[in-house]
Amino acid sequence: MFLKDAFAISPQKTFNSTFEEGDFVVHESKTFKVIDADYAEFIPPSLLRRMGKAVKMGIGAALPLMKRNAKTDGIIIGTANGGLENCINFLNQIVDYNEGMLTPTHFVQSTPNALAGQLALMYDNPGYNVTHVNGSLSFENALVDAELFFSEQENPSSLIVGAVEEISDYNYNIDLQAGRYKKEQLSNQDLLNSSTDGSVCGEGASMFIVASSPEDAYAEICAVEQLTYPSEHELSERIASLLAKNELNVEDVDALVLGKSGDGRYDGWYDHVTQLFPNAEFTYYKNFVGEYRTSSAFGLYLASELVRNKLVNHPELMGNISKQPKTVLLYNQFDGVRHGLILLKRLV
Amino acid sequence: MTREEVIVEFKNHLIQYLNLLDTTPEQINNEEPLFGGDLGLDSIDSVELIVLLDREYGIKIKNPTEGRQILVDVNTIVDYIIANRTK
Amino acid sequence: MTKVFVTGLGAISSIGTNLEEQRHALQNGISGIGKAQHFESNYKETLLFGEVKLSDDDLSRLTDSSTEKEYTRTTLLALYAFNQAIENANLSSDQISLQSTAFISGSTVGGMCYTDELYADANMKGEASNFVQSYEGSDHLLRIVKRHQIKGFTDTINTACSSSANAFYLGARLIQSGKADRVIVGGADSLAKYTVNGFNSLMILSDEACQPFDLNRKGLTLGEGAAYAVLEAEHVCSDKYKYAELTGFGNANDAFHPSTTSDDARGPVLAMERALKKSNLPATEIDYINAHGTGTQNNDFTETVALKKVFEKVPPFNSTKSYTGHTLAASGALEAVFSLLSMVNNELYPSLRCSTPNEEFNTPPIVTYQQAELKNVLSNSFGFGGNCTSLIFSKCF
Repeated sequence: MFLKDAFAISPQKTFNSTFEEGDFVVHESKTFKVIDADYAEFIPPSLLRRMGKAVKMGIGAALPLMKRNAKTDGIIIGTANGGLENCINFLNQIVDYNEGMLTPTHFVQSTPNALAGQLALMYDNPGYNVTHVNGSLSFENALVDAELFFSEQENPSSLIVGAVEEISDYNYNIDLQAGRYKKEQLSNQDLLNSSTDGSVCGEGASMFIVASSPEDAYAEICAVEQLTYPSEHELSERIASLLAKNELNVEDVDALVLGKSGDGRYDGWYDHVTQLFPNAEFTYYKNFVGEYRTSSAFGLYLASELVRNKLVNHPELMGNISKQPKTVLLYNQFDGVRHGLILLKRLV
Repeated sequence: MTREEVIVEFKNHLIQYLNLLDTTPEQINNEEPLFGGDLGLDSIDSVELIVLLDREYGIKIKNPTEGRQILVDVNTIVDYIIANRTK
Repeated sequence: MTKVFVTGLGAISSIGTNLEEQRHALQNGISGIGKAQHFESNYKETLLFGEVKLSDDDLSRLTDSSTEKEYTRTTLLALYAFNQAIENANLSSDQISLQSTAFISGSTVGGMCYTDELYADANMKGEASNFVQSYEGSDHLLRIVKRHQIKGFTDTINTACSSSANAFYLGARLIQSGKADRVIVGGADSLAKYTVNGFNSLMILSDEACQPFDLNRKGLTLGEGAAYAVLEAEHVCSDKYKYAELTGFGNANDAFHPSTTSDDARGPVLAMERALKKSNLPATEIDYINAHGTGTQNNDFTETVALKKVFEKVPPFNSTKSYTGHTLAASGALEAVFSLLSMVNNELYPSLRCSTPNEEFNTPPIVTYQQAELKNVLSNSFGFGGNCTSLIFSKCF
C-alpha cells in the first residue's frame, strides 16, 4: 500500500503549511485545540450549518487532498468517538427536556460514521465506505481495511484514509475522571518532560491518499500491526516478526516516530521500543498535538513529512532526527492496553 | 404582537434553530418555499421546525406529513402561529 | 482464493436466547416486540420495543460476570452471544488466543447505553459512576478481548445499522488475504435512551409494532440484541460442521443524505450488485433475501426500488425486524444468523404485520411459513450516513 498525499488539521498550523516551515504553536491550557481553517471558505453554508467540529475538521483535512488528487474508490475513517460535542448536546437535551421533543440534528451528526458519510455525499462517492471505532486502534484498523480493500481489487485503486477526534467537554470530563489527564497545567513544550500521571487532551484530523500502486507515491506503508494487552516481551517479539516479514534488520530502521505522551505510567513502553533500535534516530509528536485516541494518524502525517524531507529541521522536533529517513517505524500505545505499529518506507 | 413582529421573531428563530449561517431575517422572502427552494432545507429541517413551533409557540404537530400543509413558507407558518399559538 | 465458512453461530434477541428458541419463534410467527420490562424511559408506556427478556442481573449471572461492575448491557449481550458462538463452533480457549484468531464487532450505542450515568459523568455531576471507563464505542469488544485473552487482530466498526454486516465483510477478507484463519464477527447494541430519543426526534418510530413493507407502515420499532458468527478458513475447519460459505459481500455509500436513502436506491443497488459480483452468482441464483426492512416509509420504498432494479424477478424476501425490532448495529449479524437458519433448514419465515402490501411495489414479502430449497441467500443492511452492505451465503453441503 502506497502513500500519495497527506494533510492535517491539528493544534499546529498544518493547514497552511507554516508548520512545515518551522512554525510552532505553544499551547498553555488544559486542552490543545486545533488551529481551525476557515471552513466557510470551502464548505457550502447549507452543509456547514449542521456540521459538528469532528466533521468540519475531517472535511477540512480531506478537502485539499480531494482537490489535488483523482477521485478515490472509497473512504475509510478511524475515530474512537466521532462527533462528541453533538453527542453531549443531544444527551443534555434528553435530560433537560425529560425525553420530550428533541431536535434531531445533534443525533444525526453525533454518529461516528457521519464524517465518512458526509465526505461521500460532498464528493458524490458511492465507493467503499467504512468507519472504524476501535478506540486507540481505529486508525490502524482503517489502514488494515485499506490494505484488504486493495488486495481484492483487479485494477489500480486509491482510497482516502484518515482519522479524526475532537475535544468536547464530554470526553474531557470523562477521561479526566478516568485519570487520563494531568491535574497540573502544562505547556506543550514541557509535556514530554513530565512524568506525572496522565497526559494533555488534544484533537485533530489527519487524512491520507493511499493507493494500490506506487505510481506518484512517495512512500510505502509496508506493515500495520496491533496488539492488545501485550507484555513487553510480546511487543518485542511482534516487532521482530514485523521486521522479518519485511526482510529488514534492526539497523535498517533509521527513524522511530513515537507516541510518548508525558504520562509517567506508560511512557516506559516507548523507552522499551527505543532500546530495541540502538542505532535509530527518533522523535515524538504529542508535543505538537497532545494525546487523543487516533493521534497515531498525526504520527503518520509527521512521519510522512519526514520522509518527504520536510520538517527535518523543525526546531520543536524533539529527539534527534538529523536527516531525511528511509525507513520509519511508528509506535503508539494508549493506556498501556492497545498498541499500534506502522512501518513506512521512502520510495524515492 | 403584530403580524409583522411575529414574522421577524419567527425568522430569527428559524435562523437560530436551523443554524442558517450568515442569513439575516431580511434575506428570507415570506413567499419563498422553505423546502426545495434556495434555503436548501430537507426532512431533518422539517422536524427541527416542528420542535421550534412546540418550544417557542406551544404548537403541537404530530409528524412531518401533518406538517406538510403548514410548513410551506414563512407566510403559511406565521398564519398558523397566530391562529394556534398557546404561548 | 481461500474459502470462508461459517462454523458457529450465537445470537440473543427479543425472540430468544439461543438458536432453537429463535428458530421456533420465526417458524411460528411469534414476535418479540412488546412493552419493555427492563428498559427505563418515558417512552416505556407509549412505545413498543424488541427487548431481550433478560435483565442485566440475569445476563451477568449467565455470563458469570457478577463481579464485573463496569460491564454495560451492551457488553453483557455481546459476551452472551459471543460465548454461544465459540461454543457452537467448538473453539478451544487456546484457539481463541492464537495470533491467527481475530475478533470484529459492530456497535453504535456501544458503552453509552446507560444514558443517565453518561449524562452525570459527562457533566461532572457528583462522583464518577462505575461506567466512567466504559463509554467508548469499542468498550464491549475490549472487555471480551480481555476476558477471552484474544491476541489477534481486533476491530470495532460503526457504520450505523450496517455495522455488523461490515464486520462479516472485513472478517472474510482477513481470511482470504491470509491475515487470519479464524474470525469471530458480529455486533451488539442494547436499548438506550440515546437511540430511542434519537430516532424519536427524527419522527421515524412507530407507535405500534413495526410493519415492514406494509402500505400503512408508520416507522421502525427499536430492539436490542447481539449476534456473532465464527468464520473459518477452509484449511482449519475441514472436518467441522459448516453452516454455509460466505461467498459474497458488497459495500457502497448511497451518497445522498445523512439520514435518508435515495429514491433511486443507488447505494443499496450497488451493495447488492457488488456482493453478487464477488460471489460470481447471477441474480437469478439468489433464493431468498433477508431485507433490511425497517418499516419506515423511506427505507422500505428505497429497498423495494433496489430489489426491483437488481432482480428481474424478486426472490422471496422478508424482514425479520418484524420479530426483533431494529437492533441497529446487531441487526446485520442477527439477520445473517436468521438467513442461515432459513437456509440450513430450507424454510422461509413469514414477514409479520404486512397486511396491506403496497400494490405499487407489486412485490410483497412472504407472509406465510414455507419450505423451500435454498442454495444462496442474501442479507441487506443499510444505515445512516449512506452505509449500505449486502452479504451472500451459499450452501456447502
